[in-house]
Amino acid sequence: MNSRSLTLLMLVGASVASAPPARAHHSQSEFDLRAKIEVDGTVTKLEWKSPHGRLYVDVKNEKGEVESWNFELPSPNTLMRRGWTRDTLKTGDRVKVAGAPARNFPTIAIATSIKDANDKPLFTGTTQIYEPEAEPKGAE
Amino acid sequence: MTRALRSALLAVALGASPAVVLAQWLDYRTPGIPRTESGAPDLKAPAPRTRDGKPDFSGMWFANVPAKDYCKEKDCIQEERMAREQINLGIKLEGGLPYTDWSKEQMTKRRAHGGRDDPHTYCMPPNFPRAWTLPQYIKVIQTPTEMVLLHEFNAAYREIFIDGRALPENPNPTWNGYSSAHWEGDTLVIETNGIRDDMWLDIQGSPVTESARVTERLKRVNFGIMQVEIAVNDPKAYTRPWSVTVEMAMQVDTTMLEEICLDDEQDVKLYK
Repeated sequence: MNSRSLTLLMLVGASVASAPPARAHHSQSEFDLRAKIEVDGTVTKLEWKSPHGRLYVDVKNEKGEVESWNFELPSPNTLMRRGWTRDTLKTGDRVKVAGAPARNFPTIAIATSIKDANDKPLFTGTTQIYEPEAEPKGAE
Repeated sequence: MTRALRSALLAVALGASPAVVLAQWLDYRTPGIPRTESGAPDLKAPAPRTRDGKPDFSGMWFANVPAKDYCKEKDCIQEERMAREQINLGIKLEGGLPYTDWSKEQMTKRRAHGGRDDPHTYCMPPNFPRAWTLPQYIKVIQTPTEMVLLHEFNAAYREIFIDGRALPENPNPTWNGYSSAHWEGDTLVIETNGIRDDMWLDIQGSPVTESARVTERLKRVNFGIMQVEIAVNDPKAYTRPWSVTVEMAMQVDTTMLEEICLDDEQDVKLYK
C-alpha cells in the first residue's frame, strides 16, 4: 500500500502560530506563510540535493485519491549538521508533515515540522532568528 | 545533545560503523587548536598568529548567530541559523541604510517582489560583502601575500591580495570585484573596487553598484570571534558612506560541505 489514510487540514488565513520559516536560498514569498497544511502520509522519496532537500509524500485526499506532495526542506548541509542523513527517512515510512503551502501550486509546500507515526518530531532544532515582524529600517 | 553523542546514537540505531556514520568528517576533530581541560575548543583563547606575527584568520567561519533552542519549546521549524543582516544589511544602523532616491526605489520594488528578482534565487554566485551573511560556511586560507575565501555556496572562491598591489583602474566589473589588502596593526584592511553594477547586498535588495568602493576591516578578537566591518562608499546608491559590523564565529571539529545551488533549484517556478 503506497499511502495511508490521511488527515488533510487546510487552515487558510490562520495566524502564524510559530515563526515562519526563514530560508537559506532567498525570501519565502512564494509560500503563503499565513496558511498551514498538515498531511499524514507515506514517504515515497527523500531527495538529497541543493539548494533544498525535498520530501515527497503520498497522501490520500478526502475523495480517496492519492496526491503526491512535494515538501521543501533545508539544504542537505543544514540537515546533515542537524544529524540527518539521506537515510533518515525511507520509502514507505509514515510521516505527519506540517507546512506552509506554495501560493499557486496545490501540492507543494515548505515543511515546518515532520513527525513520525508516533508523533515524535524528526527535526531537532537550532536557532530561529528571522524576525519578520521587525520591519527592516529604511524600507519605507 | 551534542553532535558527537547524536552521531554515536545514530550509529547504534542504524547498526552501522562510526566510520560510515561519520562520513564526510562532520565531527572530525580539528587538530592544533586551543582546548580547555575537558577537550572542548577554547573559543576565548587569544587569536593565533602567523610566523611573521600577524593575526591568522585561517579556519572556517559562520555568522555569529546566538543559539536559542527554539525548537525544544515549539512544534518546530527546521530552521537555518541566519544573521539578521542577511535580510537587511543595515538593520542595526540608526535610520537604516542611507539610500539615494534611485536605490530606494530599486530596493522597494525588489522587496515588493519577494525573492523573485534576487540573483541568489537564481543560484548566482555568493557575492561579497553579502556573502559574509549567507548561511553557509566560509573558509579562510591565509598566506603572507594572499587570503583566499572559500564559500560553500556554489563552491565559490574569492582572492584578496596582500602584496601591495594597487586596485585596477577601469576594471572589468565582476561579482566580487578586485581586492587588495594591507595591515593596519592587527587589522587586515581590504579595499575592493570593480563590483558589478547590479549586485544585491541583502535579501530585501539593497543595491551596490559599479561606483562602489568597499572597505572591509577584519579583526580577530580572540580564537572564536572575528569582526568584519563593512564600509561602503557608493555615491550612486547611498547618500553618504556607511559601515556595519558583522561578527563571525569560528567553526571547529567539523568540515566544509559543498552546496551547488543549480543542482536542484525548484523555487523559481513557484513565483509564476
